[in-house]
Amino acid sequence: MDGKDSLWGLFQQRGLSRRSFLKVCMTITGILGLSPAMLPKVVSAAEQNPLPVVVWLHGHECTGCDESFIRSQSPLASDVLLNMISLEYSDTLSAAAGEPFEHHLEEVMKRYEGKYLLAVEGGVSTGNEGTFCMVGGKPFVAALKEAARGAAAVLEIGSCAAWGGVQAAKPNPTNTVAVHTVVSGKPIIKIPGCPPIPEVLTGVVMHYAMFGQLPPVDSQGRPKQFYGNRIHDTCYRRPFFNSGMFAEQFDDAGSKAGWCLYKLGCRGPETYNSCGNLRWWNGLSYPIQSGHGCIGCSSNGFWDNDHFYDRMPGIPVAKTITNADTIGLVVGGAAVAGVAAHGALSVLQKSKRRSGEHEEVGGPKA
Amino acid sequence: MERGHSKQYYVFSPFLRIFHWLMVLSIVTLFTTGLYIGDPFFIGSQGLEPTYAVTGRLSMEIMRFIHFAAAYIFTVSFILRAYGFWRNKGDRLFPHFWKKQYYEDLLDVFLHYTFIKSSHKPCLRNPLARASYVALYFMVFIEIITGFAMYTMIKPNSWGAKIYGPVNQLLGDEYTVHIIHHYVAWLIILFAIVHVYMAARADFMDREGEISSMFSGVKFLPHEPVDIGDITDGKDSSVRDRKHSITG
Ligand code: SF4
Repeated sequence: MDGKDSLWGLFQQRGLSRRSFLKVCMTITGILGLSPAMLPKVVSAAEQNPLPVVVWLHGHECTGCDESFIRSQSPLASDVLLNMISLEYSDTLSAAAGEPFEHHLEEVMKRYEGKYLLAVEGGVSTGNEGTFCMVGGKPFVAALKEAARGAAAVLEIGSCAAWGGVQAAKPNPTNTVAVHTVVSGKPIIKIPGCPPIPEVLTGVVMHYAMFGQLPPVDSQGRPKQFYGNRIHDTCYRRPFFNSGMFAEQFDDAGSKAGWCLYKLGCRGPETYNSCGNLRWWNGLSYPIQSGHGCIGCSSNGFWDNDHFYDRMPGIPVAKTITNADTIGLVVGGAAVAGVAAHGALSVLQKSKRRSGEHEEVGGPKA
Repeated sequence: MERGHSKQYYVFSPFLRIFHWLMVLSIVTLFTTGLYIGDPFFIGSQGLEPTYAVTGRLSMEIMRFIHFAAAYIFTVSFILRAYGFWRNKGDRLFPHFWKKQYYEDLLDVFLHYTFIKSSHKPCLRNPLARASYVALYFMVFIEIITGFAMYTMIKPNSWGAKIYGPVNQLLGDEYTVHIIHHYVAWLIILFAIVHVYMAARADFMDREGEISSMFSGVKFLPHEPVDIGDITDGKDSSVRDRKHSITG
C-alpha cells in the first residue's frame, strides 16, 4: 500500500459492497464519539481521504501500550493496521528488524516528509545525553527529534509519552520527560493511560485517518471525546458513593457487594478517562468493575501519588506514615494548647499591669 | 464602668459584620462536611438499596449538597465584603505594608503579644491582625479556586469548567488539587483558633469592645488610637459624622 488509497478505494479493490462500507462508516462514527448527524462527513472523508502513513516509535517504556493496542476489538487492531492505516515502521509489531529496517525508516521519512503521522510510545530519557534509552544504536531522544521533524502530527501514546511515566517518578534518575517537552512546532495530542484503552488508541488514529487532523482536545491536550469525563462521574458504583456505602477492606462484605472503593484509595474522582463508559476489551470490564480502585493511570504524576490504597497520600513522619487529618488534629491541638498557655500568661500580665498602674498613677482603673 | 471615659468609634459597616458571620457559619459547615467528604468516617445508609439510601440520613449526597451550598453562599457573601470596603473606610483592613508607621505598630503589638511590653499602643484595627486577614483571604482564595476547579469539572463543557478547569492543570494534576484543598482547610481552622483567642484576649486585656464590635460595629477606646487617620480623613461623610458620637 502506498498510503494514497482511501478506505472506499480499499473496499472496492477487495470487492466489498457499498452497503458494508456504509456500515463500517456508521460504526466509525459511533466509535469516534461523533453524533450520528456526522455520518455523511465520515462517509465522504472515507471516500476521499488517503489512508495515513504511520511511523510508530518506542522509547523509554514497557510496550504495554502495544499489548493494549493489539487487543482492540472494535475496530479490530488487525483491521486498523492492515486496512485503515499504513503502518510503515513499528519496531515491535513488524516482522522486519535490523539495519535494513532502520534504513526503511529513513526512506519513509524522506518519501512522506510532512505527511506521516508519528506515534510515540514511551518517555524520552534526557539524562546522560539520552544514553539511558538507545534505539537502533542512537539515543532515543535523537531518533525522536529526527522523526518528528518531518511529521504532520504527533501522537503521544500512553502516560510515558504524555507525562513522562513511571520512569519519571521522583527522583527521576534518567531525567525522563514527556514527548512534548522535546518536540515542538507540531500538532501534538496526548493519549494518556498506562496503557490507554485500546479503543481510545484506535479511535484517535482512526479520527486522523478519516479527517486528516487530530480530534478536538481539552485544556490538557487530550482528545475530548475520550478524556472529557471523570471516571467517578461515569462510574457504575457511583450510587454507592452517593449513598455513603463504602468498602472498607478488600475482603469485607461491602467489597463483595460491589460498593464504592473510595476509601480503598480509588482515584476515580480525579481521573479523566473512558473506563467508566467504554470499559476495556470491548466493554468486558475495567479495574473498578473487577474490584480494584482506579489508580489514576492516565493522570499526570500518578506514579508519585502513593499510597494507592489510601484516599489521602501518606506523609512520612519519623518512622511512621500519617495523613493530613492526623497532622491537622495534632497541629490544631498544639494551637489550642499554645493559645491556652498564652492566655494564662496574659492573665498574669494583666494583673501585673494593674498593680503597676496602681503604684504609678495611684488609682484609676485600666 | 470602664467605658465611662472611653470614646466610641464606629469602625465596621453592617456589610462587613454580616459577611463576617456568614463566613463563620459557612466555614464551620464547609469544614465539617469537607472532613466527611475527604474521609467518610461514619456509616451512611447501609443496608438499603442505593436508590432509597441516597436521600436517607446523612448520605454522601446530602453532605456534598450541604458543602456545595455553603460554598456558594460563602463565595457570594464576598459581594457584601466588597460593598463594605467601598462604602466604609473602617472596613478597609488591608495592612499598609508601604508605610513605615505600619511596621512600627506591628513591632509594638508583637512585643506586647510576646509579653515583652505590658501593653500596646491603642489602635482601632490591630496591625498584626490585619496582616493575618490577608493570609486568611489568600487561603480562602485558594479554597475557592481549587474547590470550583473540582466542582465545575463535573460538567467539563460548562462555562465554569472553562474558567476553573485550567487550575487543575496549573497545579499539576487534579489529585494535587484535592490535597491542597484539604490542607488549606486545616490551615484556615488553625487561623480560626488563634483568631478567636486573640479577640477574646483583647477584650479581656483592654476592654475595648473587640468582640462586640463584630456585632455593633463600634469600639470603645480610652485613648486616641494611633490609626485614627485611617478611618477619618475620607470623603465619606457618614463615617465622619458617626465617629464623633461620644458615650459618657
Ligand atoms: S469506585 Fe471510585 S470512581 Fe467509582 S464511585 Fe467509587 S470513588 Fe468513584
